[in-house]
This record gives sequence, structure tokens and C-alpha cells, in this order.
Amino acid sequence: MLNLIKNEWIKLFKRTGTFVMIGLIILLLTFVGIIIRSQENPDRGTGSENWEEQLQTEINNREQELKDIQNAPQSMIDSYQRDIAINKYRIEHNLSPHQDYSVWGFVYDASNIIQFAGLFVIIVAAGIVASEFNWGTIKLLLIRPISRGKILVAKYITVILFALLMLIISFAYSSLVGVILFGTPETTAPHLNYYNGTITEQNMGVHLIILYSLKSINMLMLATMAFMISAVFRNSSLAIGLSIFLMFAGGQLTAMLAQKFEWAKYILFANTELMQYIEGVPLIEGMTLAFSVMVLVVYFIIFQFLAHYVFHKRDVAA
Amino acid sequence: MSGVVKLQDVSKTINGKRIIDSLSFEVNSGEVFGFLGPNGAGKTTTIRMIVGLIGLSSGDITISGYSIKENFVKAISQVGAIVENPEMYKFMSGYQNLMQFARMSKGVNKEKVDEVVELVGLTDRIHDKVKTYSLGMRQRLGLAQSLLHDPKVLILDEPTNGLDPAGIREIRDHLRMLAKEKDMAIIVSSHLLSEMEMMCDRIGIIQAGRLIDVQRVRDFVNGAENSYQLEVSPKDEALLVAQQLFPTIKMSLTDNGIAGQLKKDDIPLLVNEFVSKEINIYGIKEISKTLEDRFLEVTDKKGEVTHA
Ligand SMILES: Nc1ncnc2c1ncn2[C@@H]1O[C@H](COP(=O)(O)OP(=O)(O)OP(=O)(O)O)[C@@H](O)[C@H]1O
Ligand SMILES: [Mg+2]
Repeated sequence: MLNLIKNEWIKLFKRTGTFVMIGLIILLLTFVGIIIRSQENPDRGTGSENWEEQLQTEINNREQELKDIQNAPQSMIDSYQRDIAINKYRIEHNLSPHQDYSVWGFVYDASNIIQFAGLFVIIVAAGIVASEFNWGTIKLLLIRPISRGKILVAKYITVILFALLMLIISFAYSSLVGVILFGTPETTAPHLNYYNGTITEQNMGVHLIILYSLKSINMLMLATMAFMISAVFRNSSLAIGLSIFLMFAGGQLTAMLAQKFEWAKYILFANTELMQYIEGVPLIEGMTLAFSVMVLVVYFIIFQFLAHYVFHKRDVAA
Repeated sequence: MSGVVKLQDVSKTINGKRIIDSLSFEVNSGEVFGFLGPNGAGKTTTIRMIVGLIGLSSGDITISGYSIKENFVKAISQVGAIVENPEMYKFMSGYQNLMQFARMSKGVNKEKVDEVVELVGLTDRIHDKVKTYSLGMRQRLGLAQSLLHDPKVLILDEPTNGLDPAGIREIRDHLRMLAKEKDMAIIVSSHLLSEMEMMCDRIGIIQAGRLIDVQRVRDFVNGAENSYQLEVSPKDEALLVAQQLFPTIKMSLTDNGIAGQLKKDDIPLLVNEFVSKEINIYGIKEISKTLEDRFLEVTDKKGEVTHA
């Protein structure tokens, strides 16, 4: 199995496209860093002396609004309650919301690069089986003393390793850019998590790593789907097209459906944003972290089963 | 000598069309088996089934006793193959390609890779990217790939496709050598009939998915009566005499004599008869049939066969 993964890894990195992907991520992160740096407001700190008063007015406003909008959607109420709770916590524990923009802020903002990295992971996942058919090399690959299932598993693991590499590169490089352009703060305020009415403090570094991991779940599921489509239809364009479309539109479509239908909570994209359980409110009332994880596992198993079932039975007449 | 590769009643139906119909034959170790048939006869389809690329609709194929259906890994580990064109990873060198395949079989080390590269005569170019290779070089790389793990069975679909005459001869010698010295069972499909004649011990003819004949090459070529041309005069009288002597054999007039499908033993009888009837004999010529003629005769599909 190790040899198979090594083979796949070699094939991946013998192609220039792979390096272009990594290069683009590095370029983009550098670019974003420079933009933010050049727009950085030197007066960020203004008003930071009386932040407690400001927060108090915000709290009062929110509480007033809450009374006025009795029959607003639950999600809106929840989000107001969250604001209030966090602001109260800040005042009680003397945690100013005004922090100088630093490496942490940048790494946080840069976490959106994961969407971009996800794009590349989807492209790799969509190509890793389909290309063998396009190149005709599938014939030589499948007449080795190795079962088709093992070959498919090795290919999937390679996709996951590539995704991991992209994440590590994104995280490490954005930290580097962050330190160089924005410096490290003397004290790092903890991140505040709000979930189910309680507030917990979390170390900023840990928080960011969790943020990156959770944000990449979406990418992982889409890559798995692209992999499945590629194995089932032997067509990488279809796999790439559909996956990327769903990556951009899946969330919105699901949110739209979620307003009307209860069953929308079983849609994959209603469950890929696990951040909603840590710092936000669930898309549909009654959804829990455990529920989402279950749904994700079920989708994962379906994707893998389809890929293996079809790939195993396929007549290779390329 | 025992059947290493056995096909038993193998059939394949694709989209309701019976492409292979109850095919059965055996290939022994130490022999080169030629798989001959016109375009679309089902040679490649059969080879695909032997190496497990496509499933069998019915029947079974065993390699060294292991069924390709039930025991794929064991069966295929004895097989090296090229199916149609040997497509490789073009963005890698020939050597890197071979290393890919070496990692997928047990016990293939770098020395073995070098040895095989040497055998197929690619040593000079093995570190160049495959996309810079000519067709013949790719064919050689394909052969190298199939020999890496010292298979007991070698299956080559049109291995000489794209090779120059020297290359064809080389392959032929390799195959004969591998069959004799390594006791391999070798299956070769080819359109180059004359070449099959020189390379194979036995030939199986397939047409429209059915095996219509399996014979030893020598029997195959000699199987038919050869035709003889006799330069004689007067030829009209000679024809009459000959027809009286052999009423069942079809004889005909030619420009300067007569011709007919005679047996070797018939010749002295005919000559004696001509001499006694005072017919002058200037020459007797044997027109022996080539494998190609026989092949066309058996398959009766003249227009569709690629000639050597
Ligand atoms: N995937 C497929 N679907 C439908 N028909 C097919 C398929 N593959 C092959 N055939 C048909 O099966 C028959 C045998 O094809 P095959 O490729 O085995 O012939 P072949 O003997 O190798 O011919 P050639 O000498 O041209 O290589 C052909 O009539 C072909 O049209
Ligand atoms: Mg063919």
C-alpha cells in the first residue's frame, strides 16, 4: 500500500500543474497580505479607551431590539443573544475587542484561502482516476497483482495527503506572511466561543487550527464527491464542474431550501459548516454537532461505496 | 508441457451483442501461441478477458490453475501483458515508468529493471521522457514493462506494431528465446501473417468471436494441397489426359500449359502418362501456399485483413 501511495505521489509531483497550484496559493497569500497591509488603518485604536461604554450601548440596543421583534426567526434571536453574551463577557473579564491587527488576525482572514485550496484539491481528486483512463495507462495499472480496491484506496489516500499538504502550506505560509507584515502581539487575547448560551475562552493558536480543520471539511467532502464522480463516470471535467459548482452554490441553495423545508438538514451542505456549532447558530433549529457528523459520515460512506462498487465492476475497454 | 493458460467456454456479450462465443483453448509453457483473426474478430477482447480488464459473461479462464475471476491477484501475478498500445505516463522518463510498475510487483529491484531495459535495447534513451519516444521505442518500453516480474505467461497484443524490420526480427528472437529458455507461455496476436509463421508454434484462428481452427504452424501451412503448374505442349491435349487420369481434381489451362491442385504423389503418375502420350514437358513448378493464403481461405474475409 505504501508503494502504491508513493507511486501516486510521484505521478502527482511529476506534473507541472501541481506546482502551479502551490505557487498560486503562495502568490495569492502574499498578495492578500500586501493589500491588507497597505490598507491598514493606523487609527485602529481610536475609541479603544472607552470600549466598555460602547459595548454597553450595543448590549442595550440589542436587548431593546429583542423585545421589539418577538416573532422574528429563531436564528435572528439566537444571533442577537450571542452578541449580547459575548459583549457582556468582554466587559466582565476586561477583554477589549480592539486588538491591533497582528499575525493572528491575518491567519484568521487568510483562512478563506481554504476555498481556493479546495478548488485545487477537487481538481486533483477529479483527475486521479479519470486521467488514468484518458492516458490509457489504466490498462497497465490494473494488470498488476493488486486488487482494484487497493488501487482506489491508495488514490484516495493520496488525495487526502495532498489536501493536508495544501492546508499546511496555507497555514504555515499565512503565519509567515502575517509575522513579517503585521508582527506578533505582546499579549494575545483568547478567542471567545459561544455555544448553547455559554462562553468559553480558547487559545488563539488552537482556535485557528480548529478553524482551519473545520473549514476544510467542506473541501474534504467535495473532494470525496469529485473522486467518486471521477471513478464512476471516468470523466474529470464532469467531476470538476459539478463539484466546483456545488462548492460555490451548494451552501446558498441549501440555505434557501432550509427556510422552507425541514428535510434540508439532510443535505450535505447544511452540515459541512461545522463552525456553526462553535461560533454561530445552526442553520436549522434542532441540528446538533452530532447530527451533522452523522450526516457527513453517511455521505462519506455512500460516496466511497459508489466509487468502489463501480470501479470494481467496470469493464476497462479504454 | 501443460496448459498454463486455459480458456473454457469463454463468452462475452456487450450490449446484447455476442462478441466472443464459447471460446476454448489452452496455451502450454514453452510455446508461442499465435492469435490470428481479421479486424474486429475479438482478439483484443479475448486478451482483455485473460488479463482481467473486462469480465466474462460466462465460462472461466485459469492461469496456472488460478481462476482470473475468483483469484485475480494470484492469477495475474504470473502474467505480463501489453493490451493494444502500451500507453505510459508521458510526463515521466521510461525508467520512472518502469519503476512505477516495479513497485507494484514483489521482488523487482533496480538491477532487474536495468537488465530488462538492456534486453529490449532501450538503454540509451531510458532516462528521456516518454513523450519524446518514437512508436517503436514505446513498444519496446511496453515489452520491458511486461517482463519486469519474470512472468510465466506473456501476452502481447500486436507487439510488432510500429517496429522496423530489425525490431520485428529482434522481438521474434526474444520471444522464441523466452519461450525456450524461460519456459514461458507466450500469446501473440498480430496482423502480420508472414511473421506469425516464423514466430509461432501453434496458431489459433478466430473469426467473429469464434475459434475456427487451432493448428501447428507447419501442419497449417502444409495442410492444403499445393497447386502445381506444368509447362507442356500441346496443352489442350495435356489437359484432356490429366482430367482422364484425375477426374476429381480441377485442372485448368494456363498461358503455356496447365495447372491444378495436385498432391505431390500425383506428379510422377502424371509425368509418366504425359511421356507415354508423347506430350512434351518443359517444366513443373510447385506453387506453395503461404500462411496468408491459408488464412484468407479459412477466414474468407479477404478485404478486411491488413497485409504484411
Ligand atoms: N466496448 C465495446 N462495446 C461494443 N462492442 C465492442 C466493444 N469492444 C469491442 N467491441 C466489438 O467487439 C468486436 C471485437 O473487437 P476486438 O477489439 O476484440 O477485435 P480485434 O480482433 O482485436 O480487432 P483488431 O484486429 O482490429 O485489433 C468488434 O466487432 C468490436 O466492434
Ligand atoms: Mg485488437
